[in-house]
Amino acid sequence: VAMGERKSEVLQGTLDLMILKSLQALGPLHGFGIARRIEQVSEDVLQLNEGTVYTSLLRLQQQNWISAKWGTSEKNRKARFYSITKRGLKQLQVETENWERISGVIGRVLGLERQG
Amino acid sequence: MRRLRTWVVKMRGMFGLQKEDEEFDAEVREHLELLTDRFMGRGMQRKEAVRAARQQFGNRTRVIERHREGGMVLWMANLSRDMRYAARQLWSNPAFTVVMVLTLGLSIGANSAIFSVVDSVLLKSLPYPEPERIVRVFLSGRAFPRFSLNPFDFRDYRQRSKSFESVAAYVRADAQLLDGGEAVRLNGFGVTAGYFRVLGLKPELGREFDETAEVPGSGSQVILSDRLWRTRFGASGQIVGQKVTLDMQPYTVVGVMPPGTQHPGNEYHALAYGESVDVWRPFTFEGNPAHRGSHFLDGIGRLKPGITTEQAQAELNSVMAQMAKEHPADEGWQMLVVPLFVEIVGTSRRILLVLLGAVGMVLLIACANAANLLLSRASARRREVAVRLALGASRGRLIRQLLTESLLISLLGGGLALVIAVSAMKSLLSLLPLDFPRVHEIQVSVPVFVFTLLVSIATGVLFGLAPALQASRTDPKTGLQQGSRGGVGERSRLRNVLVISEVSLACLLLIGAGLMLRSLLNLIHLDPGFEQQHLLTASLTFPKAHYKDDTSIIRFDDQLVATVGAMSGVQFAGAGSDLPWTGYDENAGFNIEGKRTAPHEEFHARYHMASPDYFRALGIPLLQGRFYTVNDNKDAPQGVIINQAMADRYWPHEDAVGKRITYSNTPKDKDWITVVGVVGNVKDKPNSAGAEPAMWWSMDQNPSESMSLVVRSETNPQLLTDAVRSAVKRLDPTLAVADIRVMDEIVNASVASPRVAFVLVGLFAGLAMVLAAIGTYGVIAYSVSQRTSEFGLRLALGAQREDVLRMVMVQAANLVVGGALLGLVLALTLSRVVKSLIYEVSPTDPMTFAIVGLLVIGAAAIACYIPARRATKVDPMIALRAE
Repeated sequence: VAMGERKSEVLQGTLDLMILKSLQALGPLHGFGIARRIEQVSEDVLQLNEGTVYTSLLRLQQQNWISAKWGTSEKNRKARFYSITKRGLKQLQVETENWERISGVIGRVLGLERQG
Repeated sequence: MRRLRTWVVKMRGMFGLQKEDEEFDAEVREHLELLTDRFMGRGMQRKEAVRAARQQFGNRTRVIERHREGGMVLWMANLSRDMRYAARQLWSNPAFTVVMVLTLGLSIGANSAIFSVVDSVLLKSLPYPEPERIVRVFLSGRAFPRFSLNPFDFRDYRQRSKSFESVAAYVRADAQLLDGGEAVRLNGFGVTAGYFRVLGLKPELGREFDETAEVPGSGSQVILSDRLWRTRFGASGQIVGQKVTLDMQPYTVVGVMPPGTQHPGNEYHALAYGESVDVWRPFTFEGNPAHRGSHFLDGIGRLKPGITTEQAQAELNSVMAQMAKEHPADEGWQMLVVPLFVEIVGTSRRILLVLLGAVGMVLLIACANAANLLLSRASARRREVAVRLALGASRGRLIRQLLTESLLISLLGGGLALVIAVSAMKSLLSLLPLDFPRVHEIQVSVPVFVFTLLVSIATGVLFGLAPALQASRTDPKTGLQQGSRGGVGERSRLRNVLVISEVSLACLLLIGAGLMLRSLLNLIHLDPGFEQQHLLTASLTFPKAHYKDDTSIIRFDDQLVATVGAMSGVQFAGAGSDLPWTGYDENAGFNIEGKRTAPHEEFHARYHMASPDYFRALGIPLLQGRFYTVNDNKDAPQGVIINQAMADRYWPHEDAVGKRITYSNTPKDKDWITVVGVVGNVKDKPNSAGAEPAMWWSMDQNPSESMSLVVRSETNPQLLTDAVRSAVKRLDPTLAVADIRVMDEIVNASVASPRVAFVLVGLFAGLAMVLAAIGTYGVIAYSVSQRTSEFGLRLALGAQREDVLRMVMVQAANLVVGGALLGLVLALTLSRVVKSLIYEVSPTDPMTFAIVGLLVIGAAAIACYIPARRATKVDPMIALRAE
């Protein structure tokens, strides 16, 4: 993707889902790590204000879907590591199914239109 | 706005959010740092990299603020949602809410009321600057563990001791003020220089006495109380330097004390603590400084900073040892230094703590009741809880929700409690004896509000936690099934434990109340040694200016006694130096003809004066010899009447009448005093075990400066009040008649403390019993309702109604008898707590224990019988169909 092209804004709900998924896939991560992971998988399609990751992390913590623990970063500094909880796993499953259903429906709707 | 922000910051600190904020800042900083490193790794300059990192991170401040708000807002939102939900729950169940709030309000209110007394008396510091440095100073000997000081001894301590910033002595010295032709008696003290410096108080006008005022004949000075200055001298600003007439003599006003000048309490002719003093005059050191035998001064001192009570006592003891070498009369005495606070509140400490304990138990019982009610309601709400759990509410949220409900109840109760406490305060104060320490300072103040708030919160958590924990353990699957009984076993076990503890605590309180009742009855019915009914008493003090010699006092005494004795309705009229149980305690040492004391001991007795009919009027019986007659006057040989205790102490197995004593160490013939009569013992105090040796001189031979009149009337003694007043006025219009009282009042005042202990503990015990009965009723009724179908089945299978009744009653008996036994055991182990509060009854008195045990079981039986009977009324068909 060339520079100057418009990137898509990340929807709030989808950011939560992406974080849950990242934590499920990679295990405990700190905020910076999560931002890198999202950057990596989105292949620069999505534009992310990395600060919003933290707002999302707080929300997820308050829902008890993730938990936080202090640990040491790669550079041997104190950092907060987030990991997904059992509830979070359940939620991820529910949300994933939801997402698939909705995106399936939307895909079908859009596909029909294109055909029509 | 800034203030609001600081407030928010403070609140966040309180709830542990402050640390959270700092940690989040650090986390964001670290993130930016890592981003910067990454950009620099791609070959950017640091400055550029920092900018790029910031851009990629987005608005840092907004993120931090969002984070902050997010935590707070969620917290607040949950709270307000819980509160609204709880309020709706309570509103939809008004009977439940009213019962809970009422019982909690009553119990917390009782706690707040007692706490306001405890706070004002035991917790608030004394109304003097740096009160912890003020101490009382006493002599202490083998016969008298707390004794007053000798004036010249005091002057030596003052000079030689280095422990005190200032030390002073004082003695009761009432004064008489003529105001508009009416004579008024004022409460007064003679005080040494520096008395107010010890207390840390400064006169509002003028100054305090200096040492020159202590010299006899140095000119009469007086310091007035604020109250006297306002009521009798029109609050005149020019009062200092003016002359006022006290005791028919001119006194120069040197100062006026500010309002709130509290009397620190005294031993001799004790005056109640508080703003009780009207005038202070200088104490003058009269007589021969070598004479160290007479003791009548109260000592008080302000310790130098850093000096402890023990150090001061040790130092005074070494001074005293030195003085004993100079003055033989000082031998055998030790010094006793007591912090003023301990001295003032010492005796009331235990009774207050016992009351606080009692009222705390009432609250525990109320908590148990509330928990029980919540538990039975929780069964009704099982479906609701199950639905909420199934819908994904976390256990923590659910517990928080249920606790919010119980907290709301207890806070409502706390509000009611404050209303109750404030309105009960007046009756509580009127119950307390007037000489109760700091009684005038007692009020419902800020600490009481804080206490009530904290107790309410603690109560809410205490009674709400167990039910909330249990409810949260509901299994959403079984909970949703109609009529399921899952978890009932555990729940009813908890309810049983609660009932047993309620019953045992109520039992404990009832035993306490029972012991106090028996002790009060003992005190009231005990033989005081005199007849207290139909007695009118009054006291008079003769101003030296008018009554210059003994003859004038004797003449007045004789005339007054004769006039009053001749009035119609009067059986006997007598006069004496004092009355029983009014705190009089003057003692003297003497020699006995033909007897020797053990070394370092002396023959001693309390001495009084009495007119011929004094004993007849009081109803004190003559055991041997004779009473005084009009012939026991100045011309007759000196005689003395002694009490049984003195006869037994000094002439055991002998006839005391006719024996002789003397005050002289080298007696001549005229110095001998003959025992002419022996009278019965009068208890020293209403609750003392017996009487100390006492003797009475003939008033006509040894008149005293103040006299007490005793009139035995044939009818209601109160009717004689005016006649006695006018009789005094006719003889001398300048004399003030003070303390006109019926003897019953003195007797009542003397048992006021045990009475208040009984009334309050009795009240709490009654409340406890009612609460425990309600609790027992609730549990049995609930269990009966749970077992309706079981009873129906049993009845259908041919069980008799009596069998069902018996089943329920046996279940109830297990709880109640268990609780009662536990209560009795608790009472046995706690018996030493009340030991010092009760009189002539054992703290393990079997009768009290037995009666209380039966009472509790009886009350519980009635409480259980109602639901048990309902169980027998079950219609088998309906009960079975309901299943």
